[in-house]
Amino acid sequence: MSNPEFKRNLWLSFSTHRLAAMPALLALTFLAAALADPQDNVAERLYTASIALFIFIVWLWGARNANAAIVDELRDKTWDQQRMSALSPWTMTWGKLFGSTSFNWYGGAMCLVVVATAGFAAGKPDVLANVISLCAVGVTLHAALIALNLHTSQFESRVIQRGGMGWLVIILVFMFMPAFSLGDQKPVHWWGMEIGHALFWLDTALLFAACATFAAWRVVCNALQVRTRPWAWPAFACLLSAYLAGFAHEDASLWLIGLFVSVAMSYAALFTEPNTLLRWRKLRLLQQRGDRRSWLEHLPVWPTTLALSFAFALMVILTSSGTQSSYSAASILQPQYAQTVALMLLRDACILLFFSFAPNGKRAVGATMLYLLVLNMLLPFLAEVAGLETLRYFFLPFKDSFDSWSSVPVMAVHVAIALWLVRWRLRKVEAT
Amino acid sequence: MIEISGLTFDYPGHRALDDVTLSVAGGSVTALVGPNGAGKTTLMRCIAGLETPLEGRIVVDGMDVVEQPREVHRIMGYLSDFFGLYQDLSVARCLEYAAAAQGLPDDDIPDAVARTAERLDLADKLHRLSGDLSRGQRQRVAIGQAIIHQPKVLLLDEPASGLDPEARASLAALFRQLQADGMTLLVSSHILAELDEYSTHMLALRDGRMLENRTLKSAHQTDEHRLLRLDLAQPDARLPEWLKAHAQVALKEATESHAEFDFRGDLHAQAALLKALVHEGYAVSSLAAHKENLQQSYLRSVAAHLEGKQ
Repeated sequence: MSNPEFKRNLWLSFSTHRLAAMPALLALTFLAAALADPQDNVAERLYTASIALFIFIVWLWGARNANAAIVDELRDKTWDQQRMSALSPWTMTWGKLFGSTSFNWYGGAMCLVVVATAGFAAGKPDVLANVISLCAVGVTLHAALIALNLHTSQFESRVIQRGGMGWLVIILVFMFMPAFSLGDQKPVHWWGMEIGHALFWLDTALLFAACATFAAWRVVCNALQVRTRPWAWPAFACLLSAYLAGFAHEDASLWLIGLFVSVAMSYAALFTEPNTLLRWRKLRLLQQRGDRRSWLEHLPVWPTTLALSFAFALMVILTSSGTQSSYSAASILQPQYAQTVALMLLRDACILLFFSFAPNGKRAVGATMLYLLVLNMLLPFLAEVAGLETLRYFFLPFKDSFDSWSSVPVMAVHVAIALWLVRWRLRKVEAT
Repeated sequence: MIEISGLTFDYPGHRALDDVTLSVAGGSVTALVGPNGAGKTTLMRCIAGLETPLEGRIVVDGMDVVEQPREVHRIMGYLSDFFGLYQDLSVARCLEYAAAAQGLPDDDIPDAVARTAERLDLADKLHRLSGDLSRGQRQRVAIGQAIIHQPKVLLLDEPASGLDPEARASLAALFRQLQADGMTLLVSSHILAELDEYSTHMLALRDGRMLENRTLKSAHQTDEHRLLRLDLAQPDARLPEWLKAHAQVALKEATESHAEFDFRGDLHAQAALLKALVHEGYAVSSLAAHKENLQQSYLRSVAAHLEGKQ
């Protein structure tokens, strides 16, 4: 299959020198690993070294190249040419995904050969599953970075335009991702099932590789003006909730996890999507015209997970009625607070819109974060220090000494004020 | 070829295009003129489907740009004001990539690359890295990428900026050649004299609104109707009145020593007019067709617009 984007990346990534240098350097490294400690098992050492090299070459270096796949196009002003091409979104997606990282996969493939050979020689269990998992995690990282960079490409921040968000993700992944397991691991308990460690992580890696690739494709679709409807984002929230709920303690709830996931995803989308007045004006025009399809196509994704948050909050309350024991004190959130959390998200979205709709709304995200910090931390802290418990509860209505149900009307007042502010801003802007 | 109706585009705090309605004839070279911030680049990006307008409809060769952007891209080439090239690719590979990305069959690509390189005088530079080329050569590579799939419509945003006079002249020749091949060109530039060389139509924008959209060359230069300029070697106060009284003359401007007027009549009638002038004793130093250049045409549109505002 001829893919011009893939081919272009091959032209840029490979040269005769690089083709020869990669296997030579890898061979020397493996030789050094084999000769390092003659007392130890050579196959064991090669297995460990090849996995470490794969992680460095494909996960880390490949992530850097995937991060640059979009950032470089934007920096070099070649992105318009790509958007004007006749390439389909899928051709563009896989051309970038595997083209920008082709040199890493070239080196990674050689490492995998050593992983498999040394793994079998050392009698390691689940060698094949580990090999596929390694590849799937690489694809997940690369696809997620392409999606993230395209998604945030409209931000005017230089740090973001230079791939800063991608680097943040790479650092976080390598900080928090547990080291790829080389030793024997216990089976994983998931939704009451006992699944072998390697098999479970293989399935997990494949699932998230598919999701990340799908996400990259969807973002490329939007960049190429191929409009999509916003169902994938809430669908992923549901999928992630179901996945995480599989690990949960028995007194926790799928709905509660769903609430947290959808709230977290709403905030992530809210602060990374363009929420300009122009976008909302367009939506209003489309609504007035009754053009439901275009309205959905232009809708940001955060309202979808916002709606999902309210649905999950409702389910938390409905499923908790009379069965308080299922949400014991160990539970991270009293069910009565579920609606309050969803309302808080709505309030924060309104605050962001209030700043975004300002004549100079470029710093809306920063301003919103600052005011949320003041509202959720500084003011409650000052009220508490001053001994004004009721005032503290008004700012942050989560406190055991108050009836938890009262938090809903308190947060509803916050929402009403935030909505009024948005309305006031709109009237002011329309009047000028 | 391009039909635009009610096009409105907003930037934060600023309306870039305000209810623009226009059409661009197939096979024409339309000069898109206007001051900085008039909305030229935004208009081009909307036509190219790179920006989504707030309102309005853009149809290119019968296809709605908002509804079918990918189909429109197949018949369109676009050179951005701030274009970029893949610095580490050779010119040949830049062109090959552009051809393949525009959907040309693999078998046709070598011919397309050779033809485009020939047309843009790049044949001897095919193996040089695009990053090593001069500004003018890079501009030609970028134009080559935009035309390699022989689009029906070519949008060029400030294509001659930064080029030396020689490169500009060859660019003008290329655009005339593309027009002769049946391509429709929409070219924006601040340098109106350069557009004057090849434009057939003028589209003037100001403050996001269309001032004028009209044919440039034919209106005053038919066999039966032309704009003439008369110059006298010796000033003569009778000249304005004498011309006003002439049946075939519609006076536009006249002094004692020169006049500009619309003349209705063929070349024989023009010769007769000259003969009459000499017979009347006017010291005619020249009587020739006077073509209103793009600069004058644009300034006249702006003046009319400003008058209308007052």
